[in-house]
Amino acid sequence: MKIDRRSFLSFVIGGAAGTALSPLPWKLTDDLSIWTQTWPWVPVPTDGEVSYVNSVCTLCPGGCGITVRKIDNRVVKIEGMKGHPVNDGGICILGLSGAQLLYGQMRVREPLKKVNGRFKKISWDEAISEISKKLVELRSKGESYKVACIAGSDRGTVPELFNRFLTVYGSPNFIRTPSIQDSYELTLHLMHGVQGMPGFDVENSDFILSFSSGVIDGWGSPVRMFKANSNWRDNGGKVIQVEPRLSNTAAKSDKWIAINPGTEGALALGLAHIIIKESLYNSSFVNNYSTGFNRWKRHVMDGYSPEIVAKITGIDKSVIVSLARDFARASKPLAICGRGQGWTPGSLKEFMAVNALNALVGNINKEGGIWGLAEPDYINWPELEMDSAASRGMQEGRIDGAGSGEYPHAKYLLNRLPEIINSAEVSPVQALFVTGSNPCYTLPDTASVKKAFERIPLVVSFSPYIDETAEIADFILPNHVFLERYEDVPPVAGFQKPIIGLSKPVVDPQFNTKHVGDVIIQLAKSMGDFIANAFPWETYEDCLQTTLGDKWDTLVQEGYWTDSNFAPPAWAQGFETASTKFEFTNDEINSLSRFSPVKPEGDEASYPLVLIPYDSMRLASGFIGDPPFAIKTVEDTVLKGKDVLIEINPATAKKLGLAEGRYANLTTPKGSAKVKVHLFDGIMPGIIAMPRGLGHTAYDKFLAGKGINFNELIGPVEDTASGHDTAWGISAKLAKA
Amino acid sequence: MKQEKAKKYGMVIDLDKCTGCGSCMVACMAENNVPFREDESDKLLSIAWMRVYKLTNGKPFPDTDICYLPRPCMHCEGHHGHSPCVSVCPATATDYSEETGIVSQIYTRCFGCRYCMAACPYHVRLFNWWDPVWPDGMEKSLSPNVSVRMRGVVEKCSFCFHRYQLTMDKAHMEGRRELEEDEYQTACTQACPAGAITFGDLNNPKHTVYRMVKPDHKQGGKPKNPKAFRLLERLGTNPKVYYLTSREWVRSMDDNYLKNESK
Amino acid sequence: MSTLDDQAKEVSEDVADRVVETPTQKEGNQVDGSGGFIILFFFIGLIASLILGWIIYPKLLYSQKKQPIDFNHAIHMDLVDDGCESCHFFREDGSYSGVPKLAQCIDCHEEVQGETENEAVFVQEYVQKQKEVPWLVYSRQPDCVFFSHVVHVKTAQIDCTQCHGHIGESTNLKIYEENRITGYSRDIWGKNMSGYKKNSWDRMKMDDCAECHAKEKGMESSVQTKKDACFVCHK
Repeated sequence: MKIDRRSFLSFVIGGAAGTALSPLPWKLTDDLSIWTQTWPWVPVPTDGEVSYVNSVCTLCPGGCGITVRKIDNRVVKIEGMKGHPVNDGGICILGLSGAQLLYGQMRVREPLKKVNGRFKKISWDEAISEISKKLVELRSKGESYKVACIAGSDRGTVPELFNRFLTVYGSPNFIRTPSIQDSYELTLHLMHGVQGMPGFDVENSDFILSFSSGVIDGWGSPVRMFKANSNWRDNGGKVIQVEPRLSNTAAKSDKWIAINPGTEGALALGLAHIIIKESLYNSSFVNNYSTGFNRWKRHVMDGYSPEIVAKITGIDKSVIVSLARDFARASKPLAICGRGQGWTPGSLKEFMAVNALNALVGNINKEGGIWGLAEPDYINWPELEMDSAASRGMQEGRIDGAGSGEYPHAKYLLNRLPEIINSAEVSPVQALFVTGSNPCYTLPDTASVKKAFERIPLVVSFSPYIDETAEIADFILPNHVFLERYEDVPPVAGFQKPIIGLSKPVVDPQFNTKHVGDVIIQLAKSMGDFIANAFPWETYEDCLQTTLGDKWDTLVQEGYWTDSNFAPPAWAQGFETASTKFEFTNDEINSLSRFSPVKPEGDEASYPLVLIPYDSMRLASGFIGDPPFAIKTVEDTVLKGKDVLIEINPATAKKLGLAEGRYANLTTPKGSAKVKVHLFDGIMPGIIAMPRGLGHTAYDKFLAGKGINFNELIGPVEDTASGHDTAWGISAKLAKA
Repeated sequence: MKQEKAKKYGMVIDLDKCTGCGSCMVACMAENNVPFREDESDKLLSIAWMRVYKLTNGKPFPDTDICYLPRPCMHCEGHHGHSPCVSVCPATATDYSEETGIVSQIYTRCFGCRYCMAACPYHVRLFNWWDPVWPDGMEKSLSPNVSVRMRGVVEKCSFCFHRYQLTMDKAHMEGRRELEEDEYQTACTQACPAGAITFGDLNNPKHTVYRMVKPDHKQGGKPKNPKAFRLLERLGTNPKVYYLTSREWVRSMDDNYLKNESK
Repeated sequence: MSTLDDQAKEVSEDVADRVVETPTQKEGNQVDGSGGFIILFFFIGLIASLILGWIIYPKLLYSQKKQPIDFNHAIHMDLVDDGCESCHFFREDGSYSGVPKLAQCIDCHEEVQGETENEAVFVQEYVQKQKEVPWLVYSRQPDCVFFSHVVHVKTAQIDCTQCHGHIGESTNLKIYEENRITGYSRDIWGKNMSGYKKNSWDRMKMDDCAECHAKEKGMESSVQTKKDACFVCHK
């Protein structure tokens, strides 16, 4: 049989007909189209049972309640907890990105030890025993006081465990990272006689006078402040923002008053001058519940006339006068301070001047005013028994100098530590624990901080994330992240009522991490004797549950405990000063140096501009860096590719020959960087601004290497009154690149 | 089967309250499995269903002012549901529902011609130029309620329609057919710490949004609220997102005007 | 390399051949039966492709997978009070639990029940090891589909069998056939390759959903299609 061309064609036609009559082409087309819709590498999230767990966010001191949505055992979303007294359902950008801090690439997945400059895995037991050995060695040499701990807070059980450990071990060097808390605590202590913290009844105030505070840029508890701000919009409350730059707060305020940076304290005293001169102050409060008024009045009347203040602050005299009148005539005015989100303490005299304004209008411990709140008292652990080594160590002065000599009032002076270490022949700190903080990123002059830390023979980081401090540590003992651990959340920054939150595990630990509380307890137990005896708990959870006592059940169920009936003490009982009155001034205050505007570092000739930082909700600038979602929201006028954009007034830019989007070299006395230029009308001529929160070298690829860390370009400036860092900016030079 | 009264879901955003904090953007990303890349600073390529724009009044220091404007999908009704994007879609991948007033986007149906992107005057629609990648372990935070999009398709805000589906499930379970106002809220509305976003049924007099932008029929259906405006209304898109502001300069940016034209 | 001219020449020769041959061959072929050959080849092609399309292709397209445990629905149906919903229940939030989790099984199967080998394996391999059973779900829809059980079962009172057939009466689980191209179960397209369905549960493609929605719901909310809106069943 010969298969000729026709037969073949016939076969093909038959085949085609048969194929068309079979499901093959139709089914194949359908399947292929479905195949193109479901690439195997595109993940398909698995379905499961939805559940919600209430907890408290500890990514900042804001203390917001969160409701975590889970699908089976996965965290898929973090939402604000409805009905929580602080945030009532609202939530900030960082809290929303929290799941990325649980599952992200920035996690430290197991304990690590640095060997020859590289991190190697180590078991928990080995790591703890190595550290314990080193501590025992130091102690036996009588150098227990050379151990220090840097923590993000000094309240709550975890910082207290560290403090207790240091004390019974024999070191007074527990150090809290600096913030406006330092200045406000000191202000309350000196003027109210209260050992505690301020609460601001912002919700009930109808006139907010903010001295450069980022009211809606993350100052205090951010979500609470947003809610308060919306309340003012609804109820006719006024916000006056005094600030050199048109921040979001300034833009949303009823009036923005641009001021020469660093002169806010002078303005406060200038306002006081007019209020006193025109007798607009609350005489009932001033006459009956305050002392030192006349002495303080003389100081204000002599030195802060509107003419002088106008000259210092650059604000028109008439603006100052009408602002003073508006403030004093408002029914519930409130003056607040602490620049931006409050990462730098600031000048003590400036804080006192602003607080004196509140006192003048009698808005202390009253609705819509500032309340002096006592320290939380829920941690009552058994009395410590100390051996002679511990007592000897505790008698040594603090390495940072706080609490004695030149700095009698300061509790902690971390800003001084790098310089002290760097200028000593042998580092006075021989071992350092770092927890809940990232000083190698957040402290000014990061280069000198890193240099100092490198001189410390043993640095132990407890960070759950690979941050800048963890990177240079000798051991990283990763803590669980907030969604994996129990922890009490002591009263919230600036909140007017005592409140305690409980952060609790939402999912099982994802990696080989350990609760920092458990590590301390284990470390103490491994050292035996008095040190071990000081920690009578099996685990941290045991410690926490015992500590919280009858509040535990409420906290587990509700997520928070609050004294809803709390009211601030009346004027007659509210002050614990020697006079039992509010003290505008006293001998102690008088002995402190007078207020003078803090000058930025650097000489004007070589550095004609002034560089200031600004804070943004979209850029986390504290001990936690931006997760991928948050950094994604940063505008292209702030960050473009890997370059940060510097805000500059078009007039200043023109003088310097700089145009939008062009590269420029930014130089300060502390360092230099290549930046891009963004022309912004909302900034005073002669001033340039840069965001905080960029320039990370650690973390994940989504954050690292983007922009410049502001702290690399600035150094600390010591407040002559307190010793705290008051640097609000630095002299700078910007030139075409 | 009885048909329920048609709903018209819409949003009112109070620009006086918006602080530009970005919570709405991230709430949306976390809710809707929006991917993220290493560099997101090219905003034309960066996928964000909700984007907050920064507006400035252009005046020199010290008269400068800024305002933030969050921009979700406007869910344009156009004329009888013929919103700009729906009319041009050759794949029936995007659709307008008369039942809810929501413009849907079905990713598996979309073949990436991007006509809709050209048609949308609000830059709401975004194209997936890359396959989404979640670094190892991060896929654990993906929600099963929203499909993950693949490379080559267009995506946009859905008014969190999956939340409507899920709450409807709950309602049906309880033998109800109508939702309470607070039962169906978008992720951005829920998260906004300033309470600047209000979401609800514009057809339902019981809902807050209805009261906020109640139309004045004597004025051609414009809201009675003098603070209210919509974006690019003159294009006839008939959007369902309203903005409120007391700042005149912000309101004057609602549309493109000729130099000699008064608003 | 052929030039245009060469090609033109070939073509014209070809045409010339045909012109010459056609009249004589036409008669001749019909006479000597080579036309039968042509028809035979046609049928060979036809039948071969039909065999390929109807028998070989489905075999190539679907891989056969055995369920990890041969579950007996019938036995369980006799023991429970609440029919299908005893194990495939609705959660309070209206979501549907779908295939039971191990925790549910453990309620009764903490210890080996009965004497089947299946049961022994189940308890040993899964219950004791606390490992979820990797059931293969016949009716799993693609990820882009949002299917609300509660609306269909509770509100519309549709019987489970309408979509799932009489699986509740089965004594063992059939082989799971997975489409090698799409990765979905064969039950979505249906056993019948032509897409023809006898029973309502034979196939579960989008058109099947749409057909019922048009008939039962009569919605015309979609501006584009004048049918039910896309976002009713998609996510």
